[in-house]
Amino acid sequence: MNHASSTNLPSIDGEATLVNENRRAWEERFSRILGEHGPAISRLAFSYEMVASVREELVQEIALAIWQALPHFRGECSERTFVFRIAHNRGLSHAWKRRPAHEPLDEIEDADQPIDPRPHPEAQAAQIHDRARLMSAIQSLPVAHRQMIVLMLEGLSHAEIAEVAGITENNVAVRLNRARKALKDALGVKS
Amino acid sequence: VIWPVTERSEPLIFSEKRLEQAMIEDRELDIWREQWSSVAVPPAVGRDQLQQIQKKIRRQQLGFVLGNVVAAIGFFGTMIFVVMIPRLEPQPLAKSTALGISILLTMVFSYRLWVQRGTYRAEAQSTRAFVELWRKRVIARLRLLQLGMYVAPAWIVFCAVLMAINRAAIAPDVDAHPMYWLGALIAALLALPVNLYWVFWYRRRKRAELKEVKKILQEINE
Repeated sequence: MNHASSTNLPSIDGEATLVNENRRAWEERFSRILGEHGPAISRLAFSYEMVASVREELVQEIALAIWQALPHFRGECSERTFVFRIAHNRGLSHAWKRRPAHEPLDEIEDADQPIDPRPHPEAQAAQIHDRARLMSAIQSLPVAHRQMIVLMLEGLSHAEIAEVAGITENNVAVRLNRARKALKDALGVKS
Repeated sequence: VIWPVTERSEPLIFSEKRLEQAMIEDRELDIWREQWSSVAVPPAVGRDQLQQIQKKIRRQQLGFVLGNVVAAIGFFGTMIFVVMIPRLEPQPLAKSTALGISILLTMVFSYRLWVQRGTYRAEAQSTRAFVELWRKRVIARLRLLQLGMYVAPAWIVFCAVLMAINRAAIAPDVDAHPMYWLGALIAALLALPVNLYWVFWYRRRKRAELKEVKKILQEINE
């Protein structure tokens, strides 16, 4: 009887091993998620924070939030949706703490600009300028438009965007149109 | 196959214009996507960054445990103090003070639990749900501050009434240690404006936060 119960129920050592295994599995999953979605998280953080050092902190905060939420994630949505939800929510809180989030174009740090392998310096300068203009315009948008634009640029489907934002798919199309128009206005492009 | 003949709803020229417009928009989107994806990003998440994150996680877990331990010690310590006072000093003043503290503690904890109902949820939700939760949390904090604004002066009035009722019992001690009692009185009177100043400052901050959260919520709901 005792033997039977000892084989059915895990011993204290067995439980500790189980906890350790679970923890290791979470850590592996966490590392994989960061590996897969790390660049997207960094880009998203760019839309909420222009200063490189602070942005790095924001990325870490997002990673921390993912770690905390991971044990409760039961696959109700895709992993990508899960990551974007957390990242946007953290971004929102960050934007509130760091008001005003929008900085003028001149203050965007040169160190953030990647090195372009193309030899022509003028083309490179133009590319950097255009990118900085786009980032600055995205940052100047209201939060709801900004979120739509970022998710659209990251290539999420309408269904995924609806899941992240908490709105209907039909509503996504309408909002995306509005957000696009707002971005064009911010960039000074004629519709 | 015979295709059904449908009446064209708009002249051909408009359809072509729309097509052209759609093509321009797609090209525009492609350019934006190209610019967006070329934004400088760190090579995924490096080992150093992962270590920093793990360090933060450990610090946060430690903070969480320490916070709970301190809160439990504070609560049980005060309760033991409240139970012990009347036993050590069976005077009406000590009994009333113990009763006052226990009422205050129970009231503050109950109110805290009540105003924070529905705000214990993780943030892995949709943006709309998150912002709504954020609004609830700010409102709960504002209500707690409101309670603090009433409780602080009420506590001083309670102490003053208690002392007035028991003045005969206190008088010999006041005569024996006048400086001690004067110091305690000055400290109590100074604590009130300091406390109220902090409450007003924090409330102003929270109100600004609530305004911002409502604005975001309005943007989301539009």
